[in-house]
Amino acid sequence: MTETTSMTQASGGGLSAQKLGLIAVAVLLAGLIAVPVAVGDQFVYHIFITICIFAALSTAWNIVGGYAGQLSLGHAIFYGIGGYAGVILVNLGISPWFGMFAGAAVAVVAAIVVSWPCFRLHGPFFALATIAFLEVFRVLALHFRELTGGATGLMIQLNIGWEWMVFRERFPALLIAFGMLLVCLAVAWAIRSHRLGFYLVATRERESAAKAAGVGTVKVRLMAVSISAALSAMVGTFHAMYLTFIEPESMFSLQFSIQIAMFALIGGIGTVWGPLLGAVLLVPITEFARGALGSEAIGLHGFVYGVVLMLVVLFLPNGIMGVVHRFTSGSEKAEGEQAAPVAAAPRSAVPHEAGREVMRVEGLQKHFGGLHVTNDVGFTLREGEILGVIGPNGAGKTTVFNMLSGFLKPDQGRVSVLSPSGEWQEPASPADFATLGVGRTFQIVQPFAAMTVEENIMVGAFHRHPHVGDAREAARETAHRMGLGPYLNAEAASLTIGGLKRLEVARVMAMEPRILLLDEVMAGINQTDVRRAVDLMLSIRDTGVSIIAIEHVMQAVMSLSDRVIVINSGQIIAQGDPQEVVRDEHVIEAYLGKEFTHA
Amino acid sequence: MDTFLQIVANGLMLGGLFAIVAVGLTLIFGIVKVINFAHGEFLMVGMYLTFLLSTGMDVHPYLTAAAVAPALFVLGALTQRLLIQPLMSARDEHVQIFATVGLSTALMNLALLVFGADIANTPAHGVRSQVMLGEVRILTGQLWVFGAAILLVIGLQLFMKKTRTGRAIRATAQNRAAARLMGINDKFIYVLTFGMGAACVGLGSSLIAPLYPTSPTIGTYFVLIAFVCVVLGGLGSIPGAFFGALVIGLVDALSGFYIGSDLREAVVFTIFLLILILKPSGLFGTRMNLSHVSP
Amino acid sequence: MTLKTLLTATAVSALVAGAAQADVKFGALFPFSGGLALLGEESFRGVELAVEEINAAGGIQGEQIDLVRGDAVDNNQAIGEARRLISREGVKAILGTYSSSRSIAASQVAELSGIPYFELGAVADEVTGRDLQYLFRTNPTAETMGIMTIDMILDEIAPGLGVEATDLVIGVIHEDSAYGTSVAGHQEEYGAEKGLNIVTVQGYPSSTVDMSSLVLDLKDRGVNIVLQTSYQNDSVLFLNQSAEAGFEPDAIIGGGGGYSLTATAEAVGDLMEGVLDVDFTQYAVNTEFTPGLEDFLVAYQNKYGEDPRSGHSLNNYVGAMAVLEGIGAGEGFEPDQIVAAVQAIDIPAGETAAGYGVHFGDHNQNDRAMMMGMQWQGGKLVTVYPRDAAVAEFQIGD
Repeated sequence: MTETTSMTQASGGGLSAQKLGLIAVAVLLAGLIAVPVAVGDQFVYHIFITICIFAALSTAWNIVGGYAGQLSLGHAIFYGIGGYAGVILVNLGISPWFGMFAGAAVAVVAAIVVSWPCFRLHGPFFALATIAFLEVFRVLALHFRELTGGATGLMIQLNIGWEWMVFRERFPALLIAFGMLLVCLAVAWAIRSHRLGFYLVATRERESAAKAAGVGTVKVRLMAVSISAALSAMVGTFHAMYLTFIEPESMFSLQFSIQIAMFALIGGIGTVWGPLLGAVLLVPITEFARGALGSEAIGLHGFVYGVVLMLVVLFLPNGIMGVVHRFTSGSEKAEGEQAAPVAAAPRSAVPHEAGREVMRVEGLQKHFGGLHVTNDVGFTLREGEILGVIGPNGAGKTTVFNMLSGFLKPDQGRVSVLSPSGEWQEPASPADFATLGVGRTFQIVQPFAAMTVEENIMVGAFHRHPHVGDAREAARETAHRMGLGPYLNAEAASLTIGGLKRLEVARVMAMEPRILLLDEVMAGINQTDVRRAVDLMLSIRDTGVSIIAIEHVMQAVMSLSDRVIVINSGQIIAQGDPQEVVRDEHVIEAYLGKEFTHA
Repeated sequence: MDTFLQIVANGLMLGGLFAIVAVGLTLIFGIVKVINFAHGEFLMVGMYLTFLLSTGMDVHPYLTAAAVAPALFVLGALTQRLLIQPLMSARDEHVQIFATVGLSTALMNLALLVFGADIANTPAHGVRSQVMLGEVRILTGQLWVFGAAILLVIGLQLFMKKTRTGRAIRATAQNRAAARLMGINDKFIYVLTFGMGAACVGLGSSLIAPLYPTSPTIGTYFVLIAFVCVVLGGLGSIPGAFFGALVIGLVDALSGFYIGSDLREAVVFTIFLLILILKPSGLFGTRMNLSHVSP
Repeated sequence: MTLKTLLTATAVSALVAGAAQADVKFGALFPFSGGLALLGEESFRGVELAVEEINAAGGIQGEQIDLVRGDAVDNNQAIGEARRLISREGVKAILGTYSSSRSIAASQVAELSGIPYFELGAVADEVTGRDLQYLFRTNPTAETMGIMTIDMILDEIAPGLGVEATDLVIGVIHEDSAYGTSVAGHQEEYGAEKGLNIVTVQGYPSSTVDMSSLVLDLKDRGVNIVLQTSYQNDSVLFLNQSAEAGFEPDAIIGGGGGYSLTATAEAVGDLMEGVLDVDFTQYAVNTEFTPGLEDFLVAYQNKYGEDPRSGHSLNNYVGAMAVLEGIGAGEGFEPDQIVAAVQAIDIPAGETAAGYGVHFGDHNQNDRAMMMGMQWQGGKLVTVYPRDAAVAEFQIGD
């Protein structure tokens, strides 16, 4: 995925760049209508209608292929469904304005059927699966002749008029195509700038971190695919009316699917305006090239096309928007290059007391193949308590954590969490855990690399604040609390390891969890930062949040924990007061070997 | 019964044909982890080379493999070095897929430009003669393809298990970063593997050319089928690709007879989808080898 | 712009030396690139030769014809090019298109713009089945082909084999695009009408690499007459794999496509001997029935330096000649004048280079269009049916 299109209302320089960009887009869009009207030539109308159709399809594709990062090479399925639904209904005397929505509805069903089982497949596998589905659809469209007309295709009656979307003049057709493009762009823009867009990009970047942040990753992807399929189908209906004739070969075509994706790729995958740019640039060039090369010799045009595609991919892997971004971001200086201190709020002096139980863990068992990685682990966590989990490498601490957050299902045993309304519940998925207020970090940091720091934290903040404005507000506040204030607009990928660890915690904190699972947040950061982190955790605890922390940094564990659990070989070998536990001989043996037990 | 046996035999022979294409692809897809959409075009290029060499020099098409396989090795290695490697670091794997789509389009149209849309016929030199196994008829050429596929699988397996380079390739496939730390030149390994994958299909093309008419678009049919075989067999598994291809050959032949020749593609792709969804490690894969599946 | 166009231009100007400058435009819409380019170009050559011949003879209504090319590589493009020809080039009519789907798409545009569209080569029924006002088709159709195939079985094959036609076991196989599907559909329909025993109709993708199951299926059903409508690759595969499976039907009747191409015959060698084919008029035909065919061949040779690659050029030439001369006899180039002019065309059978006559009947389809029955004999595709066009004996049975 390519660009960090900053969704943020960035600083002064950024704002004007953004304004410039919007003006440029507006001019471009106006041009799509103005040029053909000014030239007044049917062929020019056709070219611009084609641009609008391709740009609209590509924009719709981009919601899945770009935002969600699921490379669909079978999008012609939805386009074809829209086309067939439109034509079949028109021939039954139903206007395509209705057919369009019927097609969209069928496409949504198909999209869910096609993608739901495929979401565990990523990258190339998803792409292959979509191609396979497309082939199946094409063969079925050929086979069921009663419905689709088979290979000979279907055509519409040439009823002229708005209700049939068929016109003698070209202007109304252009208007409809342009309108559809606007709808697609508006939807794409709205998704990108609202919670769904953040969730999609987060899921694309780091699926597990997104899950931990309470994102229903399957749900948001299904939404993306459904929206994209519906839009594609609607454009398909219109295009079928424009073509007046459809056949399986052209409606369910792999070539066509690839072409749609290619406009987005060349314009800039994952950006709102990239697909539009790609189509505006490429459609006329293709038309021209076909005119200039097509008659020269069979195959020359295709050869040049292939070579150009390779060159573009090699030298413009981020597309046109990548180039645009490089220029605009050059003027935008990253603020706050100096190190920022962790400005943890001063701790309240009130001594604290652990409250009622909030989490019960009972008899957890887990096997990986023949390996018994978790053996009868059970404990309870109280409100406002910090529970330290220690143990040697490979003891199975992270496995336990994964079961406490829904990432792994225990073979036996259960994890129950007290809901805010006071009932005990047994959540099953990461999303369930997140809903109950369980937040977690990952031992290996999982930033959403293509997002800014602020956007990263916002993904967490959306959990409590569905609206962008509120989420941004909450994210900023959290960022300042975590000492990330100066980096708000920096790309997450540019942070140091200490910064990333803080970002990891900030994202969870923004979820305002009731139970916080911290997996080695202090590993690899310097002494000063460790002290600050300890202060921070204590202050979090004091707000009533319960914390379970896996730590290796003993100094931190001792000063933090109200209680400590020691895990070795998947079993709890000791638990209790930190000072006592470290004197326990099993613990010493586990950490240092037998000979030290009596030292 | 005779018909059934004949269909099974046809299916197995067809499987051998798919296998010899799929084995090369599993190297590229399984180890370099690139969806090579141009793989079918590699086959097409190999078949045209075989055609040119065997007609131009009037030699048996099988002999041309000595030149075609190395030529395809170079084509594959260059593809990796010049087209894929610069994109390896790209955060977005979409880009690599489009690169191979571009290559596929360019090669196919180049063939159209050079050879025209007409089919080219490689002389059969006797490989179209039949042998009877009981009541079952098989072409000698098909037996050769089948035998060559088996030898290729065994040879590659030995190479992967016994040689230093082979082990380096496997190490790179499993964990690129770790392999690099161990001093393996991963870039070289990828170039080599891509070249080998292409060379395998080059060998295959010399065997296939006398059996089938060559046309610029012949690759498009093979490439999707080969992906099906590879996924069915378990990604990166060489014997898996072979057995996957046999299964697909059988399914193809049986469904063509019992279900109908217009739906056989749908049957094959439906099976492919079921495998992808239900058992993504493949029919013959023993472990999860989908590096792209996140935890 | 290119060497070829330059040469063409020179050739044209040489031919029409001294004539007035070209001043009435007609569009020629064919797939010049993409997968259909080979026969698209071949079809265009026929139109080009017709235009040159007419221009050399003084043009139509005293004006020279300027032929503007449009490339119909896919359906969307066909529409775009039709628009370009109509609105930018201002053509008076469009000639095309070889591919049925391109023709259907482009002719809808022409209809909406009120510009006459002359289809010279696409065979699908839907082209004329829509009752368009401005669409005319000169060439025989899928229906003609289907009927001709069945008639050939009834008139020649069954008597030749010495059996009742209804005792023959017929299998119909076809590639699964519009071309194969519609021809096979008519074979099935008309065969049933004649009481023939068609035991199976099966489609398959033309890109297939294996037809052995289909062959075994036919063999299993005891099929002795195979009707195959196919392209090149699948014709070769079927003939080879039939021989390999020991499947020897009494007759194989191809439906044009791959069966009319010499390259197919070369690919399968002896297996092609005796195979029948129903298609547009080809070149080995009784020229008394096809006056002008020899001149066409000479003109073709002179212009392109090679023999025609298929009968497409001939049929497009015949269609274009008939239509353009018809327009020439009319009273102007306004759409309605053109329509009136072509509706008056009345050329009887046996007076064109393709043998068939031209007269537009129902749906503006040329009701005199017909195909020829041919047979591969001694490596050549010779016309054997109907008898008055035949140059060789129909060979069937032993």
